[in-house]
Amino acid sequence: MVLYDSTALAGNSSGSSSSSSSKPPLPLQPQQQQEIDGLLAGAGYKVRSSELRKVAQRLERLETAMVNSPADFSQLASDTIHYNPSDLASWVDSLLSEFVMDPVTNQTVVNDAWATTEPNMPQVHQNISYEQQSLNNQLTVVTAMEEDSGIRLVHMLMTCAECIQRGDFSLATSFLEDMQGLLTRVNTVCGIGKVAGHFIDALSRRIFQGIGGGSINGGSAYENEILYHHFYEACPYLKFAHFTANQAILEAFDGHDCVHVVDFNLMHGLQWPALIQALALRPGGPPLLRLTGIGPPSPDGRDSLREIGMRLAELARSVNVRFAFRGVAASRLEDVKPWMLEVNPKESVAVNSIMQLHRLLGSDPNRSSPIEKVLSWIRSLNPKIMTVVEHEANHNQPSFLDRFTEALHYYSTMFDSLEACTVQPDKALAEIYIQREITNVVSCEGSARVERHEPLATWRTRLSGAGFRPLHLGSNAYKQASMLLTLFSAEGYSVEENDGCLTLGWHSRPLIAASAWQAVSDSPAEFPAPDTHRPS
Amino acid sequence: MARSNEVNLNECKMVVPLNTWVLISNFKLAYNLLRRPDGTFNRHLAEFLDRKVPANANPVDGVFSFDVLIDRATSLLCRIYRPAMAEEPQPNVAELEKPVAAEVVPVIIFFHGGSFAHSSANSAIYDTLCRRLVGLCKAVVVSVNYRRAPENRYPCAYDDGWTALKWVNSRPWLQSQKDSKVHIYLAGDSSGGNIVHHVALRAIESGIDVLGNILLNPMFGGQERTESEQRLDGKYFVTLRDRDWYWRAYLPEGEDRDHHACNPFGPNGRSLEGIKFPKSLVVVAGFDLIQDWQLAYVDGLKKAGQEVKLLYMEQATIGFYLLPNNNHFHTVMDEISKFVGSGC
Repeated sequence: MVLYDSTALAGNSSGSSSSSSSKPPLPLQPQQQQEIDGLLAGAGYKVRSSELRKVAQRLERLETAMVNSPADFSQLASDTIHYNPSDLASWVDSLLSEFVMDPVTNQTVVNDAWATTEPNMPQVHQNISYEQQSLNNQLTVVTAMEEDSGIRLVHMLMTCAECIQRGDFSLATSFLEDMQGLLTRVNTVCGIGKVAGHFIDALSRRIFQGIGGGSINGGSAYENEILYHHFYEACPYLKFAHFTANQAILEAFDGHDCVHVVDFNLMHGLQWPALIQALALRPGGPPLLRLTGIGPPSPDGRDSLREIGMRLAELARSVNVRFAFRGVAASRLEDVKPWMLEVNPKESVAVNSIMQLHRLLGSDPNRSSPIEKVLSWIRSLNPKIMTVVEHEANHNQPSFLDRFTEALHYYSTMFDSLEACTVQPDKALAEIYIQREITNVVSCEGSARVERHEPLATWRTRLSGAGFRPLHLGSNAYKQASMLLTLFSAEGYSVEENDGCLTLGWHSRPLIAASAWQAVSDSPAEFPAPDTHRPS
Repeated sequence: MARSNEVNLNECKMVVPLNTWVLISNFKLAYNLLRRPDGTFNRHLAEFLDRKVPANANPVDGVFSFDVLIDRATSLLCRIYRPAMAEEPQPNVAELEKPVAAEVVPVIIFFHGGSFAHSSANSAIYDTLCRRLVGLCKAVVVSVNYRRAPENRYPCAYDDGWTALKWVNSRPWLQSQKDSKVHIYLAGDSSGGNIVHHVALRAIESGIDVLGNILLNPMFGGQERTESEQRLDGKYFVTLRDRDWYWRAYLPEGEDRDHHACNPFGPNGRSLEGIKFPKSLVVVAGFDLIQDWQLAYVDGLKKAGQEVKLLYMEQATIGFYLLPNNNHFHTVMDEISKFVGSGC
């Protein structure tokens, strides 16, 4: 018997996960404790046992329709947008409703005689392993062939990290020395050799400079922007994030004339030209677009936010989109107050967070962290959509060794994917950008550690608990993202659909996850009806 | 194309449990959406719909997995499944490629099904099956993410299988203690079964030892329309028309189904007489419309003096081995375990 948490039964997310912010998940509503067919779950489909027969009947109807009018069916095939295939019942229903069925006369007599399972067949519900994969530590490793010294290096890194966890710094230090030596014999141009160097540095910092963060995060906002820009150019992760978020925002704004986008991290505003252009071209004409960009204050007296805003305004003017920009300077996202955004009750709001929410996760699981406050005020804005992109990794585990292990594999994969980029200085600066993340994950603690990445499953639980429901990203967004990737010469990037969200990764390892959300309009305890898989 | 739908739908309902019926019908429906009459394939939608699972280096039910890029040029990925050692609840992740411990460890190279066009090594249904094989056979399983049709026709799938075989054969950490050799078995279902045969052929030619072939509902065919194809067309989830589509998608353009890839013992096939072909376990489902070709394959092996065991599961449909909710499943799993266990 598998008890699914209420979010899954609302047809929109995967099973509960042990969130590392130890706020307990909301108690299950009695009507939502229902059994999911364990064997189908193992195949990736979530169907309530009680609904199996209904789903089967609908599949039959679709099949009949398919045979009777094949032409219509192939039209269906090419035009329909599909959502969340794991929710099989909804998927089948949506196909049925697309394919306008004459409900009574077209129906063949359905003989409902399914075989009962053979009498002495134990119904072993292999329901545990699918669930466990989201509950347990999921550790995905994609390696390339490594020489022996590469493997030894990994071994030593793990052992060193383990010493640090135990507090045995002198032994850790001797491992550091050995590793420096081994590095000279390993291919440091690619693979594990390259990323190992960064991890060795980070461990070194942790031992010798302590966990206060020191000068790494002191990189100026200006420096960060440059590195960010080159990371944007060198690999598709940020482009995918922007592209997917824009697609969802565009759909959410359909039919609305006054729209307001709140960008949690403006940077150079790279995401927005595409949205402005798409809005310009939309049938019926563009809306009035307001953009509020949040970013750190400029130290040197420049108002960089305003500069970016003006450039975007020029672009908007050139394509006849009425546009207004506002900059909100804040060193930390949690310092932003909703009144600063000047949201007008008549506007449709989109909140856009690209790799920002994880910074709000607190270090002390026993105290409420900024994330709760921020999610709460986001909700109070009643946004039409909130787009969230986060690293698909668990770098916020309480155990240092677990974090280290996960980070080692995550960043190895990311570095591996960077090999495809040959443009300099994009590649070198992108590596520094990533190196800073590594350093933060490995050598910082407490409030200095801001790179507190958590996986999609955890974000689903947290966001659902905070009163948001998912807006599923569909096959059209998937297709466009896939096609975007073919612009990159590197084969190896892959987009995957995950329960209504999209991930981008290197081969079989997802590295970033994009999702879209809407505030539940009533009180958080009420969950919406099951078939809410389309953006409204 | 079958007309009497009522009869057809009812027949296959009678022989499979409800959840199996839902699973396979769902695939049938989805696959119909993906195959285009002009022979092209909606790959984006296919990948969107396919339910995938990531590898997991932390053991689940005693098995852990990780992915290895074995050929960068073709982006050829394999997923390796290993049994977790009893003493270590969590293997040290640096020891993914730790040498296999026992005297004899079978290494099963697995080729997933999908009629050469569908599924991947990381498809949930195949991840589940491979995990099962680990426990069943006390084996390491290497699942090959071969290139698929119609974008990659013959012989790409076989080339990838061959690359994987060479890679497995050359891993020191996969060598059994007893003789410092890798004890290799090839296994696959549907198109994967077809790939098993052809990769085994290449192995013989190159002197790599394969200890056994396991073919589950292997995909074979020919120009002729056989009795089983006519009798069972459209009755148990599969139609002749879709079989034809997949062969047109995989075989070189202009070739017909008597091409040796499709019909290894047909007019363009080669004789295996006098060749040291691995022993074979061939599983045929009684409701599979291509069974005549599968039985002909078994006959072809026998006539060439090769060792082959046929498991004919009368009441089984395609895909019966995907869910452990029927007797055929358990019978076949037992036989596989014995096949791999003996004469390693």
